[in-house]
Amino acid sequence: MTHHTNIKNPYFIDFPKRIKDIQAEMGSQGIDCYLGSRLRTLSWTADAFCPWRSFVVIPADGLPTVFTFVIDAARVADDSWLGEDNVMGFAPMGGQDQIEQIADFIKDFLKNGRGRIGVESGMSNYLPEGWLTHYEYTQFQAALSGCELINAHTLIDKLALIKDQGTINRFKEASRIVDIGHHAVFDAIKDGGYKGMTETEIAGIAALAMRKAGSEWEWSFTGGNEIASGYRTGFAGGACTPASRRQLQPGEPLMVDIHAMFKLGLGDHSHNYLMAPVTDRQRWHADNFVDIVKTTLETYRAGTTPSLLAEKMMGFAEERGFADYMVPGFEHGIGLMGDEWRIGLNDGPFPYWTNPDHVYQENELLICAMQYACPDDNIGFRYENPIVIHADHCEPLSKFPLGVDEIR
Amino acid sequence: MTATFQYLSQEWRDEAEKRLTIELPPERMNFVTSSMSNIYQNCPPDGSEKYLFFKFENGKFAQLLVGTGTPPKAEFAIAGDYQTFAKITRGELGAQKALMTLKLKLKGNMVKALKLASLADRLNKVLATIPTEY
Repeated sequence: MTHHTNIKNPYFIDFPKRIKDIQAEMGSQGIDCYLGSRLRTLSWTADAFCPWRSFVVIPADGLPTVFTFVIDAARVADDSWLGEDNVMGFAPMGGQDQIEQIADFIKDFLKNGRGRIGVESGMSNYLPEGWLTHYEYTQFQAALSGCELINAHTLIDKLALIKDQGTINRFKEASRIVDIGHHAVFDAIKDGGYKGMTETEIAGIAALAMRKAGSEWEWSFTGGNEIASGYRTGFAGGACTPASRRQLQPGEPLMVDIHAMFKLGLGDHSHNYLMAPVTDRQRWHADNFVDIVKTTLETYRAGTTPSLLAEKMMGFAEERGFADYMVPGFEHGIGLMGDEWRIGLNDGPFPYWTNPDHVYQENELLICAMQYACPDDNIGFRYENPIVIHADHCEPLSKFPLGVDEIR
Repeated sequence: MTATFQYLSQEWRDEAEKRLTIELPPERMNFVTSSMSNIYQNCPPDGSEKYLFFKFENGKFAQLLVGTGTPPKAEFAIAGDYQTFAKITRGELGAQKALMTLKLKLKGNMVKALKLASLADRLNKVLATIPTEY
C-alpha cells in the first residue's frame, strides 16, 4: 500500500523509524524486548486494526512481530506495513497458544533465555485498552522464567504524544468524512424530514454517507454514532449516548455525535439541533453552549493546561449564569485507533487519569469534548472535534459550522 | 505377500519416498516450497527421539530424512509422542484433534500452517498406505 512506502503520500507514517525510536528508548532503559498488548500500541506500531486480543513483540533490533487470533492474522498482515512473516496467528493448539508461542518467540531474542521484558500494565476508563491481564502476566512470567517483566508503557506513550504529519492528515481526512455525515443528517432532517425518524435511523443515515465517503468504521466504543433526542440529550454529565429507538419529536433537542475512521485516524464531531418550535429557554441554553465552545476553541494553544483551561471556561460559564449545566471537563485524549482516553502521560495526581497540569505542546492532538446538560429542562448539547494544538491557536479538524441549528 | 516396513526405518523411509514422489506430483502439492520436521518422542524400544524431515521445493518432493537427535531446521516442527504419530498414520487420530488436545505441538507460523493443512493431510494419507509395523 502506497501510504506505507511512498513518503510523498499524505498519509505516510514512517513506521520503521517509530520502531527504531522505540528500540533506542528500550536500549536506554535496559529493556531487551517489549511486549505490547494495548490496542493503541498495536495501531501505533503495526498500522493495522487489531480487534481481537493481540500482542506486538519488539526486539532490541529488527522488525516487530504481531501476534493475533489466527482467524484475523492474514487480514492484519495485509493491512499492516509488516509482511506475513511478521504477523503470526495464535490458536488453541499445541505450541500455538498465545502464551507459549509468544514466550518461545521472545526467548529466541534473549541471551540464555534471560532478560528484561517491557510489558503494559495499568488501568483505564476505556474498556478496550488492552492492558496485560493479571492472568496473562502470571502466565508470561512462568513461561519466561529468568526474565524480569517490567511495566514500560510510558516508553510508547512518550513517543506517541506528538503527532507526525501523516497521522494528522489521517485525522483530517476522517474529519472531512464526518462532515459529510453531518451534511447527510442535516439534509435528511430539514424541512420536517425528521418526523417519524428514530435516533438509530439518524445514526444509520450518517453511517451510510460516511461509509460512501470511505469511512472504515463508526469506530467509537460508546455505540458507534451516538444520537440522543429530547430528554436523552440532558443526562447529568451525560457524555455517552448510543442511539436508541426513540422517535424525534417537535420542540426537542437532537444531538448528533458521529464517528468515522480513516487508516486508523479518527473523526469525531458532534453537532446539535433544536426541532421547532423552539422556546426562549431552549435558545438561551443553545446560545450559552455555542458561546462557550467558541471561547474554548479560542483558548486552546500550546502552553495551556487542562486545569487552566477548565478554570477559565468555568469562570466564563459562571459569569453567564450557566455553570450548573457545564460538565467541567473540556477534552479527552486521542491517537490512532485504541488511543482514546488519557491526555499526555501517566504523571498526574490520580494514576491513569489525565494530569490536570499537563502542558500542551505543538502538534498534540486531542478531542475538544464539551457537554452541556440541563436535566430539569430535558435539554443538553455536546461538542466534540479533534483539534491540533499549535503555538498560538488550535486547529479544529471538523469544519462543519458550529451552531445549534433550528429545524422546521 | 505384501512386505511390511518397520515404522521410521530406512526401508520405511525409502518406501515413503517412492510413494510420495509418485502420488504427490507438484500440482497436487500446490507447487509449495516448505519444510517440516516431525519429532517423535518416546520411540520404542528405548524411548529415544527420532525425526522425520520433509522438504518440498515448488511442489516437488525434494528430501525425506529419518534420523535421531536434532532434526534439520524446518519451517514447521511438529513434536509429539511416537504413539500419537502412529495413531495419526494409521488413521485412528486426526492431526488437528491431536493439536487441539495438546498431543502434538506445532512450531511455526500458524497462518502459513493453515494454508498447508490440506497438503499435510494428503501427505499423511499417502504415508498411511504403507504397510507398516509400529
